[in-house]
Amino acid sequence: MSSWLDYTINGLIVGNVYALVAVGLALIFGVSRLINFAQGSIYLVGAYIGWVAVVQLHTPLPLTVIVVAAAAALVGLIIERFGLRPLQNSVRIAPLLATIGISFVLDQLVMLTFSPNPRALPSQLPDVRFQLGGGTIGPLDLLIAGVGITSALLLFVFLRYTRLGWAVRATAQDRDAAMQMGVDVDRVNQAVFGIAAALGGVSGMLVGMYYNQIDTAMSLQATLKGVVAEVVGGAGNVPGAVIGSLLLGLVESYGVAVFGTSYRNLFAFLLLVVVLVLRPNGLFASARQAPPEPLTGTFIAPSRPVRIPRWVLLVLAAVFAVLPFFPVSFYVLQTMINAWLLGMLALSLTLVAGTIGQVSLGHAALLAIGAYTSALLSLTLAVPVGLAVIGGGLMSAALGTLLISPSFRLRGHYVSIATLAIGEIVSLVILNWESVTRGPIGISGIPPLSLFGYDLISPSSVYWFSLAVMLVLALLQGRLLASHLGRSFRAIRDDDVAARAYGLSLNRYKSLAFIFGGFAAGVSGGIAAHLYSYINHETFNTQQSILALTVVILGGLGNVVGAIVGSVALVGLPELFRIAAEYRILIYGIVLLLLVRFRPQGLLGTI
Amino acid sequence: MSNIDRRTLVRGSLAAMMAGAVFSRSALAQSSEPILLGVSGPLTGPNAQYGAQWKQGFDLALDEIHAAGGINGRKLAYQFEDSQSDPRQSVAIAQKFVSDHRIVMELGDFSSPASMAASPIYQRGGLVQFGFTNSHPDFTKGGDFMWSTSVSQADEQPLLASYAVRRLGLKRLAVLHLNTDWGRTSRDYFVKAAKEFGAEIAVTEGYIAEERDFRSTLVRVRDANPDGLILISYYSDGALIARQARQVGLKQVMCAASSVYSPKFIELGGEAVEDVHLGTRYFPQDPRPEVRKFIAGFKAKYNGQEPDAFNAYSYDAMNMAAAVVKIGGTDRRAVRDAFAKVKDVSSVIFGKATFDVESRRVKGAMNAELVVRKGQFALWDGKPT
Repeated sequence: MSSWLDYTINGLIVGNVYALVAVGLALIFGVSRLINFAQGSIYLVGAYIGWVAVVQLHTPLPLTVIVVAAAAALVGLIIERFGLRPLQNSVRIAPLLATIGISFVLDQLVMLTFSPNPRALPSQLPDVRFQLGGGTIGPLDLLIAGVGITSALLLFVFLRYTRLGWAVRATAQDRDAAMQMGVDVDRVNQAVFGIAAALGGVSGMLVGMYYNQIDTAMSLQATLKGVVAEVVGGAGNVPGAVIGSLLLGLVESYGVAVFGTSYRNLFAFLLLVVVLVLRPNGLFASARQAPPEPLTGTFIAPSRPVRIPRWVLLVLAAVFAVLPFFPVSFYVLQTMINAWLLGMLALSLTLVAGTIGQVSLGHAALLAIGAYTSALLSLTLAVPVGLAVIGGGLMSAALGTLLISPSFRLRGHYVSIATLAIGEIVSLVILNWESVTRGPIGISGIPPLSLFGYDLISPSSVYWFSLAVMLVLALLQGRLLASHLGRSFRAIRDDDVAARAYGLSLNRYKSLAFIFGGFAAGVSGGIAAHLYSYINHETFNTQQSILALTVVILGGLGNVVGAIVGSVALVGLPELFRIAAEYRILIYGIVLLLLVRFRPQGLLGTI
Repeated sequence: MSNIDRRTLVRGSLAAMMAGAVFSRSALAQSSEPILLGVSGPLTGPNAQYGAQWKQGFDLALDEIHAAGGINGRKLAYQFEDSQSDPRQSVAIAQKFVSDHRIVMELGDFSSPASMAASPIYQRGGLVQFGFTNSHPDFTKGGDFMWSTSVSQADEQPLLASYAVRRLGLKRLAVLHLNTDWGRTSRDYFVKAAKEFGAEIAVTEGYIAEERDFRSTLVRVRDANPDGLILISYYSDGALIARQARQVGLKQVMCAASSVYSPKFIELGGEAVEDVHLGTRYFPQDPRPEVRKFIAGFKAKYNGQEPDAFNAYSYDAMNMAAAVVKIGGTDRRAVRDAFAKVKDVSSVIFGKATFDVESRRVKGAMNAELVVRKGQFALWDGKPT
C-alpha cells in the first residue's frame, strides 16, 4: 500500500515539473489563442543561460534566476516583435507555423553554441533530503512547486485585478473590440510574451538543475508534455494548467505502476484524448466561457490561389517523367523519390487540413499504419508487394479514420492537439504490441517493391513508380475537389454551422476526407517500407508530421499542386544546404520563417 | 576544430575537381587527391551529440594515419553527410555516395532505421557500408557489403552478466533498458546469460530514449525486491536513473553496460554514480599500448578531455578503414574483399581485430571490470561495495 503513496508522490513531483511549462503555454494561449511551439525552446535557452551563469560566472541562485528570467524575457520579446507581430493580420495558422520555425532556429542556435553534448547543471541549493513515503524529496522539488504555484497565483491575480491584466483578458476575448477601447494590444502581447518567456526560461533552468542535466533534445519533449498538460487543464486557463500538469503526472505514474514503464506516455496521450472528447474545452473551462475557437473562416483564410495553366502542369509532369533519361545522378533521383513520397503524405494532409479544415499534427501515424500493414502482409502472408501496398493504404484509411473519429467534434487547435496525441499513441502501440509489430526490434528484410512479378529495384523504376502513384492520387484528388464533395468539404471548413444548417452531415464528410487522405498516406508509408527494407517505431516520427504540415502550409492549404511543390521544396532545400553541414537546419528554419512572413497563404495560395 | 578538416577537404576536392577538368581526369589528379570515405551520421537532430563524438575519433585517427605516412603515400579523408539519423535522408546520402566514384567505402549510420534503410542501396551499388555502431543483429544480414565492428551484444552481455552474477554475487536482478532495438537485444542476451549463471530476473523495465523521470519506474523496481540493478543505458539516461534511484531510497548495487562509459556519466551523475560497476572494453590505466596511445593522443588533441566509448568506436573504425584501404586500394569490390583479409588490426575495443567472414563482424571484445570510485573510473579491486 505504501507503494501507492510513493507513486502518488512521484506523480505529483513530475507533474510539478510539467506545470512550469504548461503555465507559460496557457498564458500565451489565453491571450493570443496560439499554441506556442517555441515555448520549449525558450525553456532550453533558459537552461543554457543558467548553465553559463552557474558554471562560468558562478552567480548565486537569486542572481541566476534574475539573469535567466531577464535573458529569456528578452528572447520572448524578440520573438513577439519580429516573429509574430508581423503576422497578426495574416491567417491564424501562420503564427503557429512561425513558432515551429522559431523553435527550429532557437534549438539549432543553442546546439551550435554549446555543442549537442549533454551538460551537468549543478543545483545551487543545499543537498538535504527529506524523507517522504519510501523516497525522499529535496529543496529543488519544493522550489519548483513554489515557482509553479506562485507564478500561477500571481498570474491569476494579475489577470483579474490589474489594469494590464484586464487589458490582457480583453484582448484575449476580442482583439478588435479591445483596440477600439484604447487597449494597446501590442503592448499587451509584449507583456504576455515577456512574462511567459521569463517563466519558461526559469523553468528550463530549474528542471535542468533538478535532473543535473541539460541537452538540446529537451525542448520538444517539454513542449509536448506542456501542451498536453495545458489542454487537459483547459487551454488558456492558468490555474487549470497547474492542475492539469499534476493530473498528467499522476496518470503517468499510476500507468507505470500498473502496466510498466514502456506504457507511460501512452497514458499521457490517452488522458489527453479522453479529456478532449469528454470536455473539449479542458477540465476547468467554465461553461459560460465563450467558445475558445471562434474559428469559422478565420483559422484558414481564403486567398486567391495562383492559377497555373493546365499546359504548364502537363509540361512539368512530362519533364519529371522523362527525368531519369537524362544524365542525372541517382542521388537526385532518390531525393525526388523522397519528394514524391512526401508529396503523397502532403496530398493527404492538404485534403484533411486544408480542404476540410482538420489540421492534423499526427499524420505520420497514417504512414506508420500503412508501412507496417504492407510490410507484414508481404512478409508473413506472402502477399505480392503491389497488393500489400494497396492493403496498407486501405488499412490506413480504415484505422486512421476510426482513430480520428473521436476528434470530429473538435475545432481549430484542438483538432491539432488531438491528432498529435493520436499520432503518439499509434507510435507507442507499435512499440509495445510486440507480438504483431516486433516492438523496438522493428521489421527487417522487407521485400523490395515489385509489380506483376517484376522487381522495381533501380532508382529509375522506383522513381517512375512513386511519381505515377503520386500523380494518380493527385488527379483523383483534383477531381474530388472539383466535385460537389469538394464544395461540401470547403463549406464545412469555412463555416461548419452554416454547413450543418444546410443539411451537411459533418461527421460523414470528415470521415470521407480521412478515408481518402488515409489511403494516400498509407500508400506512401507502404512504398517507403519496401524501399527501406527496415522499419521500426521511430521511422515515422513526430518530425515527419510537422514536416508534412509545413509542406502543406507552404504550398497553400488545400492546394493539390501546392502540396507537391511544397514537398519538392522541403525535401530539396535541406539537401541543397548540405554544404552548410551543421548549419543547414538553422538555414532551413530561417527560410521557413521568411516564407511564413512574406507568403502566409502559401506559395500557391489556399483553395 | 574539426571544421578545419572539412574546409580543407572541401577545398581539396574543389581543387581536385578543377584539376580533373583541366587534365580531363588524368592520372596526375588521381594520385594527389586524398582517398575519400563517406560518412553518413547525425550532425543535427536528436542524436547530434554522437555525430560530434564520431568526428573527434575520426580526426584523431586520421592525424595518426597521416603522421605514419598515410595510405601508401596518399592521404585519407572523409566526407561527413548529416543524416539526422533519419532514414529518408540516409537513403539519399547512400545514393549520393554510391554515385560518387571518389568514395571507396561508407561508414555509419548511427541508428538502425537510418542504417538499415540505406543497406539495400549500398548492397546493390556495390559500396561497403561499414557500420561501426550497428549492433542490430540483422544489420550484416543486409548483404556481403555490410560489415560491422560494433561489439556484438551476444558477446558483451554475457560478460556483463558474469560480472554482476559471478563476480559481484548478485542473485536477484532488476534490468532497466532503453526500449530500442539495441536495448532490447541487449536485454535478451543479458537475461539469458544471467539465468545461465544462476541468477533470477526480478523485473525488466524498458523506457524510451526521451524519458527523464524514472522515479515511478524505480518504485516498481523496489517492489520487485532485487539485490542489484542492471542499467542497459547510454550515459545520459544511466546517470539520471542512478541519481533518482538514490533519491527514491534504493541502495542496491548498480551494474551498467559499457555504453555508459564516458566522463559525462560521472559529470551528470555526480555522487549518485559512485560505486556503479560497469563492464567496458578498455579503461584509463589500461596498459595495452593501443589504449595508451589513444587516450594520450585524444587528451592532447582535445584539451585534456577524456575519450568515451563512442570516441573509441569511431577511432577504431577509422583505423580499420585505413587498414582495409591499404589492402584493397580504391576499387570498391577489392575493398569489400579486403575486409575478409585484414588481420589483427590494432584496436582499442578488440585489442587485435579480425573479421569473422561468416558473420562479417568482429568477435572477442576486450573486457575490463570497472567501478566508479571517488569520481573516477577505476579497475575493480574485487572488494564489495
